[in-house]
Amino acid sequence: MIMKSELIIIGGGIVGLYSAYFLAEKGFNDILILEKSYLGSGSTFRCATGIRASFTTEEHIVLLKESINLWKKLSRELGFYYEQGGYIWLFRNEEQLKAFTEFSKLHNKFGVPTRIISVDEIVEKVPMINTEGLVGGLFDPIAGKASPFQAVFSLENALKDKGVKIRTLTRVKKIIAENGRIKGVETDSGTFEADKVLIAAGYGSRELAKTINVDLPLNNVPHHALVTEKFKEAFKPLLIDWTYSAYIVQVQHGNFLMGMDIEEKPQQPLYQRVDFIPKMARVATRLFPWMRNVNVLRYWTGYYVMSPDRHPIIGPVEEVDGLYIATGFSGHGFMMAPIAGEVVSEWIVDGKPKYRVAENLTLRRIKEGKFIHEKAVFG
Amino acid sequence: MGKEMKKHPIIVCRCENVTLEDVEKAIDEGYTDLESLKRKLRIGMGPCQGRTCLPLVIRILARKLRKSPDELLIPTSRPPISPVPMKVFLAEGEDDNEE
Repeated sequence: MIMKSELIIIGGGIVGLYSAYFLAEKGFNDILILEKSYLGSGSTFRCATGIRASFTTEEHIVLLKESINLWKKLSRELGFYYEQGGYIWLFRNEEQLKAFTEFSKLHNKFGVPTRIISVDEIVEKVPMINTEGLVGGLFDPIAGKASPFQAVFSLENALKDKGVKIRTLTRVKKIIAENGRIKGVETDSGTFEADKVLIAAGYGSRELAKTINVDLPLNNVPHHALVTEKFKEAFKPLLIDWTYSAYIVQVQHGNFLMGMDIEEKPQQPLYQRVDFIPKMARVATRLFPWMRNVNVLRYWTGYYVMSPDRHPIIGPVEEVDGLYIATGFSGHGFMMAPIAGEVVSEWIVDGKPKYRVAENLTLRRIKEGKFIHEKAVFG
Repeated sequence: MGKEMKKHPIIVCRCENVTLEDVEKAIDEGYTDLESLKRKLRIGMGPCQGRTCLPLVIRILARKLRKSPDELLIPTSRPPISPVPMKVFLAEGEDDNEE
């Protein structure tokens, strides 16, 4: 028996789930989500949980500002943990401060009220910090954090209520198109028909798109993170030490989650490296000397799926009728998922996204070499 | 679940204070794999890293699903094996907070 749906979403991560959610909200609920493992099992459940709009391009700032509004609204409606605790970017030289003074003007221009703050103000917000070597910071008051686990489970329940079908442990092997039109997908448990397909499968999207001769120039770059035992609230904002490309955030239950950029080659399997925890511990204890006595509980790895210009690829693919893509989030998939899902739903139902800047994010820009280039990527 | 059980709950996960009743309820709600149960209930996410609770939850889940424990997918173990203070990872001379 062949099952037919109007739309198949490949990938049960946060982007695929939010896409289904906004489509179903518009009355488009004849959707089948296919996930090769369990929901959230790729990058979603490995992410740093941060949500911000303090980026360096109009596209990112405008869309993530709207994404924050959606996080706020949906966390209330669906009942999952989200907190607008802010971000503080920490700087150790005048050059960094100068660069972010300019970025802050750009944030303000598009309605994101970041501002440069003094070391004293950093201490006010994070009393336990060691300020040695710090020259100032950038405070982003509208940034925040959410629980990826609760978000995925809440969305799963909401989608089931709306009649969206979800199949886990189902791996899509190839996409089927005839005469330039989507027909369905072939999986390890049979063929599923559909008029439309959304590929939201992280780096896996590249292999899938290849099966219908669409080239997605993505790089899968391993990143590393660890979490400590839990403590009562020590500070609210997510902290970024720009010098080390490192971050520390106290997550929902009180654990400190942290990561930093260490040199990695793309397309490598996820290995645990002996040098990560020592490097991370050095940065963490520099910022918080008392963390010397804090226990490390878990160290894990995950991928940033990098596009050539560090912006996602979202929208229709012109060569294949009925094919849509949402991938290449370059480390920002979780925070961007609500707006990405909304934009996908607008492309599919309305034929065009509400936000003009979202039109710049389709695959066409990459084919035409019109790169947008984001500078504020870390971790 | 009987009244006696409510008064003296059976703790399955000591780190996160999860009871047998919590686990059975979550399974009934549809969290029927260990990865989802872990993230729903936080079993295995505390200092014991699942060494205490996971074997118990595997047995509870296998019994409820009428499967053999071998058929269940076991969550990935993450290093370190047991909690380790950050200072252990610092190089010599860094422990006393000098650069």
